[in-house]
Amino acid sequence: MASSAATRTAAGAAKVVKPIFSRDLDEAKRRVRELYRAWYREVPNTLALFQLDIGHRQAKDKVREMFDKNKHITDPRVIDMLVIKGKMELEETIKVWKQKTHIMRYFHETENQRPADFLSRFYQGHDP
Amino acid sequence: MFLSSAIRSAVSQTARQVRGLHRSAARAGAGGIFVHRDTPDNNPDTPFEFTEENNKRIEAIISMYPVGHKQAATIPVLDLAQRQHGWLPISAMNKVAEVLGVAPMRVYEVATFYTMFLRQPVGKYFIQICTTTPCMLCNSDSILQALKSKLGIKVGETTADKMFTLIEVECLGACVNAPMVQINDNYYEDLTAEDMDHIIDELKAGRVPPPGPRNGRFSCEPAGGLTSLIEPPPGPGVGVRADL
Amino acid sequence: MLRFPAVGRALAGLAPSHSARVQSRAASNMVEVFVDGKPVEVEPGTTVLQACEKVGMQIPRFCYHERLSVAGNCRMCLVEIEKVPKPVAACAMPVMKGWNILTNSEKTRKAREGVMEFLLANHPLDCPICDQGGECDLQDQSMQFGSDRSRFSESKRAVEDKNIGPLIKTIMTRCIQCTRCVRFASEIAGVEDLGTTGRGNNLQIGTYVEKMFMSELSGNVIDICPVGALTSKPYAFTARPWETRKTESIDVLDAVGSNIVVSTRGGEVMRVMPRLNEDVNEEWISDKTRFAYDGLKRQRLTQPMVKDASGQLTATSWEDALTRVAGALQGAQGSEVAAIVGGMVDAESLVALKDLLNRLNSDSLCTEELFPMDGAGTDLRSNYLLNTRIAGIEDCDVLLLVGTNPRYEAPLFNARIRKSWLHNELHVGLVGRQVDLSYTYDHLGEETSVLQELASGTHPFWEVLSTAKRPVVVVGSSALQRPDGGAILAAVSALAQKARSSSGVEEGWKVLNVLHRVASQVAALDLGYKAGVEAIRSNPPKVLYLLGADAGCITRADLPKDSLIIYQGHHGDVGAPMADIVLPGAAYTEKNATYVNTEGRSQQTRVAVTAPGAAREDWQVIRAVSELAGVMLPYDTVDEVRSRLAQVSPNLTRYDDVEGANYFKQANELAAAVNQTLLATPLIPPQLTAKDFYMTDSISRSSQTMAKCVKAITEGAAAVDEPSIC
Repeated sequence: MASSAATRTAAGAAKVVKPIFSRDLDEAKRRVRELYRAWYREVPNTLALFQLDIGHRQAKDKVREMFDKNKHITDPRVIDMLVIKGKMELEETIKVWKQKTHIMRYFHETENQRPADFLSRFYQGHDP
Repeated sequence: MFLSSAIRSAVSQTARQVRGLHRSAARAGAGGIFVHRDTPDNNPDTPFEFTEENNKRIEAIISMYPVGHKQAATIPVLDLAQRQHGWLPISAMNKVAEVLGVAPMRVYEVATFYTMFLRQPVGKYFIQICTTTPCMLCNSDSILQALKSKLGIKVGETTADKMFTLIEVECLGACVNAPMVQINDNYYEDLTAEDMDHIIDELKAGRVPPPGPRNGRFSCEPAGGLTSLIEPPPGPGVGVRADL
Repeated sequence: MLRFPAVGRALAGLAPSHSARVQSRAASNMVEVFVDGKPVEVEPGTTVLQACEKVGMQIPRFCYHERLSVAGNCRMCLVEIEKVPKPVAACAMPVMKGWNILTNSEKTRKAREGVMEFLLANHPLDCPICDQGGECDLQDQSMQFGSDRSRFSESKRAVEDKNIGPLIKTIMTRCIQCTRCVRFASEIAGVEDLGTTGRGNNLQIGTYVEKMFMSELSGNVIDICPVGALTSKPYAFTARPWETRKTESIDVLDAVGSNIVVSTRGGEVMRVMPRLNEDVNEEWISDKTRFAYDGLKRQRLTQPMVKDASGQLTATSWEDALTRVAGALQGAQGSEVAAIVGGMVDAESLVALKDLLNRLNSDSLCTEELFPMDGAGTDLRSNYLLNTRIAGIEDCDVLLLVGTNPRYEAPLFNARIRKSWLHNELHVGLVGRQVDLSYTYDHLGEETSVLQELASGTHPFWEVLSTAKRPVVVVGSSALQRPDGGAILAAVSALAQKARSSSGVEEGWKVLNVLHRVASQVAALDLGYKAGVEAIRSNPPKVLYLLGADAGCITRADLPKDSLIIYQGHHGDVGAPMADIVLPGAAYTEKNATYVNTEGRSQQTRVAVTAPGAAREDWQVIRAVSELAGVMLPYDTVDEVRSRLAQVSPNLTRYDDVEGANYFKQANELAAAVNQTLLATPLIPPQLTAKDFYMTDSISRSSQTMAKCVKAITEGAAAVDEPSIC
């Protein structure tokens, strides 16, 4: 009884929240898989198109890493949103709206972490 | 534009033979430029000191103005300095400033404004010849020519013996007696070239010829004799209604 | 001559009325006029231009300047007035009841266009090579009011340039004879060197004789010149106004704390200009403030340095230098550590240094500037402030200056005195060396005995002082730095108290004033620094921390051989060469910092450029040292330092506000207990002539422009060779 009540409230909550695309987690996961596949297939093209000096293996690992970064997420709405963003990224990559540096940004953290303590900041620059 | 400048240059070409059209008295006569440059005879160390007599005059002049307004006496005191020295060296202006207790610059301002303050050395006799239209129509050119040849100098120059300085000026307000020259404070009017020669000779000889018209006129009455007011003036009551 | 005697003053009706702080009169006295049909109530005697300004309508002008007398010779402010046949010059015409001023009628516009055409007839069209370009009144107003084409085909007038010193560049052909500079020189600066010579088309502005424009305020003519006739020589051809970034800041080269705008481009200070602050500097600044900025680019300390085995200072890293400093501080506890602060140190680093030394159990914190510690000393603020305030001089009627030459110690304060002397019949007396102060004063002698005579009422000037309604006594800080400074302060304080009681002035009026010469002094005393290095000389420390101390009041010879000197500051001037460790700091244009001027007004500077090389803001250096020395100061940001400042002395963070001082009576009572006798040596302030004015601190001593000024004064303006451009 208790569990059904819980599902009912959950369903009631789900009813209130409007889904983006996916009605449940399975559907969301399907969409993720589709996106992953599209990215995976696009890897060789991208490498050729942007003349990236990166191996296929490394690039595919990076795609997997990017997906794995969000694997803890279970809310279908959030997953959908991330999928939408991923699709946008993909489109920008396929249509070469990006430039080489934008692709390379996946591989390299350009920003140095600013030190937090006073002394390191002092040694580093004028404006701690 | 080209046409007008061409005409202008043509005009000035023809006119320059006798007198410069575009040069005012201030420019040509009273010292030219409006900045001071030290020269051997005009520098802050040029000796200048008011005479005892003039010091008394200065006192009298200053006493005419309200207390605290000594500056008002700038023009008369400058004039006094010029009469004493013949012209105004920079040291005289400084002296005037000192006497009046004002900044020297305030005196320079006045001295440069008025063309009758001579900031360049002039000869003993300062000849100002009027060549403005009425005098020019009465042949002031011949007077100027006579002066030039007699003194052997050009306009704006001083004779070698420091006796005469000749400059051209605009109207001196004696058009009725044209042509005329002013020598120091005296007006010599109704001149002919011979008169001019004679005046210079007299001056050279150390005499000051009497000022005034040279053609027999007393003053500025009509040249051909009086045309009105020739009968004795009527007594009181003339032209008044009999019943009053 | 500008100052008429009492009889003549009534005639001088056109003297600007804003100076004599006129109280607004009853509404019944007001005159109603209309500006473009809009009604406005103004006081009788208001000019048309001021009435228009009151409704927010700007009338174009060149010769009119609100702080100068009205000349009315540029004619740019011509406006039509309904039912008046001719356009009138708005700047010189007092309004009459019911006038309708038409500021944008056909006739007005035509008049402006005509005047503009005449002005441009003789003005060269050299805007592309003119330094005024972009901030030129003539340029702006000809765009706004002028015609779009020229009908003038004749040749233009040319005027030869004048050499009036190494600060002001003159291109006199550009002059439109507004005579603002002439009026500034004779009214504000009090140096009647400039004037108009000649007449008509040949009229020109100049000095007539070859002469320098010898005024400590001369740079202001650059700002008031509406065209490019007077421009800055050091700034010539270096930047355009639209490409510079402007930072509002505070000047620290004297104790007045003039408000300035620092123009920078690409991390370089291009020039310094005044900023309006009616209470401090109005809209003027002194030449040192304006032109010493090139000293910020020379002789700078850009690297931490330590003395190596051969006794040579060699550059090193911050880590190394700071570790050495921390080691030295740790090795010497208590009174073995001492600090001396200089004249341009900000309140933030003052409090940080004080906290650091206090944590090391030392309280030997001194300022270079002396101040008598006898009597109340620096315990009562009233003893060391300019209590009347700078603007307060305009309300006083008798001023006694003691042992000071305000003209060179605080030029803007002197300008205020002159303003009051000119417009409010201020009577000035001076005890000290007789110098040219740009106004007349009663010279009472330079002996200290004069003070006693005044206090006992036997001196003739006492008659004047005792009948004053609002007396003010100003004593120069240099007079208080003599061996008998305490006695002088006591004598002046007693005199001030006596003058106050004889005047019967209200309780709020302050009589006693101290005029400081350096920017840091008031903040340092507020924070509890001891004035003077006597304590350090008598008890030499093992480690001496010099924070911007460049007056050279302590030397190696005063200290034991093995003592360590740390110098922190921005210039390699006097302090740095004798130090063992040099820490580069930031100058006043390079930090957000608090300064308190001689009135006790706290103001803040802003970062205009970053400090050169490895230099850091001063409080940060001290904070870093504290961490390495194991006595970490509890603040990481400037806001945290300021909250600490507020804890110590809340007035320091109440910006643009003056925290008044009181307890004059108590201070006087304590001063009476001073048993010191006045010495017979005459009171002579250190800065007597213009030559002493230009190079007084580490920034101005490094400035080439200031050096040129000194050279021009000693050898004549022609001796300074300028690059021959234009």
